[in-house]
Amino acid sequence: MSSNTATPTADGHDGTESIKQRLMESERFGYLLSPGTGLLWVLFFLFVPLTIIVAFSFFRAGEFGTIIYEPTLENYRRFAGGTVYQWVIIRSILVGVATTLIVLPFGYALGYFLGRTNSRWTPILLGLVVVQFWVPLVIRTYAWIPILGREGIVNDFLLWIGIVSQPISILYTTHGMILGLAVSIMPFMVLPVYSIVSTIDEEVIQAAKTLGASDARAFWEVTFPLSWPGIVSGILFTFILSAGAYLAPELLGGTGDRLIAPVIETVFTQDFNWPFAATLSIIYVGLIVIALYLFTRRADLEEALEGTQL
Amino acid sequence: MSVRKYAREVSNSWNWTTIKLVSALVYLSMFLPLAVVVINSFNPQRIATFPPESLTLYWYYEFFEDDVFLNAVWVSTQVGIAAAILAGAIGTLTAMGFVRKPFPMKKALAIALLTPMIVPPVIVGVASTIFFSEIGWGRSIWWLVVMHTLIALPYAFLIVRSRLYLFDETLEDAAMTLGADRLTTFREVTLPLIAPALITAMVLAFVISFGEFTATQFWVQRETTTVPVVIYSMVRTTITPKVNVLATLVLVVTIVVPIVGLLIQRALHRGR
Repeated sequence: MSSNTATPTADGHDGTESIKQRLMESERFGYLLSPGTGLLWVLFFLFVPLTIIVAFSFFRAGEFGTIIYEPTLENYRRFAGGTVYQWVIIRSILVGVATTLIVLPFGYALGYFLGRTNSRWTPILLGLVVVQFWVPLVIRTYAWIPILGREGIVNDFLLWIGIVSQPISILYTTHGMILGLAVSIMPFMVLPVYSIVSTIDEEVIQAAKTLGASDARAFWEVTFPLSWPGIVSGILFTFILSAGAYLAPELLGGTGDRLIAPVIETVFTQDFNWPFAATLSIIYVGLIVIALYLFTRRADLEEALEGTQL
Repeated sequence: MSVRKYAREVSNSWNWTTIKLVSALVYLSMFLPLAVVVINSFNPQRIATFPPESLTLYWYYEFFEDDVFLNAVWVSTQVGIAAAILAGAIGTLTAMGFVRKPFPMKKALAIALLTPMIVPPVIVGVASTIFFSEIGWGRSIWWLVVMHTLIALPYAFLIVRSRLYLFDETLEDAAMTLGADRLTTFREVTLPLIAPALITAMVLAFVISFGEFTATQFWVQRETTTVPVVIYSMVRTTITPKVNVLATLVLVVTIVVPIVGLLIQRALHRGR
């Protein structure tokens, strides 16, 4: 994996090695080139804050946004006893599953197309998927508002082809929200699938067909299983991102569509209840850890994260 | 059957046509909303009817008069550049350490370094705000720089690291055998060779910083509002067409520039 293993450490160039060793050890610069810099940043600005909110989840909020620094289980009791917050978690999981079910076939189709086409436009078509990451999510989300509204393009189209006789509600409903979510998350499925499918050797598929497999059978028994790591990576990201979405439920969803991320934000910045926001955050992270555990038993987490690299 | 012949046969099959149609539908869903935003930025009416009856540059003039919008662009640009430099530098040093040095628990520490990619932004926002207030560090633009660096760091690390895996270390050995010290070798040999990856990493870090909203809304103040935050609050209250202008300008920078870059790169490649 590391090119370290490929360097000539054991091929007799002791002179070079010792110069290198000496330089590495004697000069302070060598120490800067270490995993430590990045790890310290993550430790100090992510792991320490996460540890602090674990502690905060056991405190209680006083009046006017103050915090009473006494250990209590009150927040966890409030969650366990209140169906409202349990429903928020369940709804988030359901939205995550529904979005994943939509994103998977569409994202797979496009990833497969890009991986197998011999069009000269492939770099541009691929670039058009990648630039989705570059456009701020808030723009990609609010752009749906004029499309899904009662006088939006979708309703105009449905009226024109005569599927509906009067405008239907799409904006500010669950399906409008899931549509916006699915499209915004699509690149997270397309790119890992593409990067795997494009490495599958054409001759392997051809071999299956030479042995008598039909198009469909060659796909289901050769191409699809071989692209599984990309699919797992895509599913992982689609689920995590959609269950934890903030913008789509706020801008496109209905009043009954509050998911976990907006609820935590409201508890934190509007109710000023920092301890309870911390508790909800812990429960939410727990959910993600479970999802990661379920998925990484089938795939390598590090590889999955690298799969979404641009 | 030759591979070429096989490919032709596949591209004519019924399944392949379906895949092409679905792909086209995905592209349509990704770009139609953005196209509507761009067109609406030229729509004279405040409450946009689509398609517009006439086109105007009125909202562009209005946009360049609006201090709130211009200030947000300025803040986002500054923070994005600072985060890109920091994430690029830290990502490179870290990736060098990971690729070149043996140390225990490498795999686990690599995953630890990638956690900012998985921790939901809303939790990053909540946790960091509690942390900063506990250590008594007042809210400032530095919150944005520090936290955007954190969020962009895993991407910078991954990109530089993948380049370093392909790197021929004997080039460094040669430079050092010829008497260059570690720093000179890094500057004269290593850096130029990883420069393309480093630039990619920094551009990506800038883009991530520029577009981040969910966590960023916890960190901004009135005078350090960023582009996504100002767009969100405008959309929540009254959609002024100036939002479409801002979005259009951002789209030009984030879509047209990379694609033109890609085309130039291809043209140069072909010319070589």
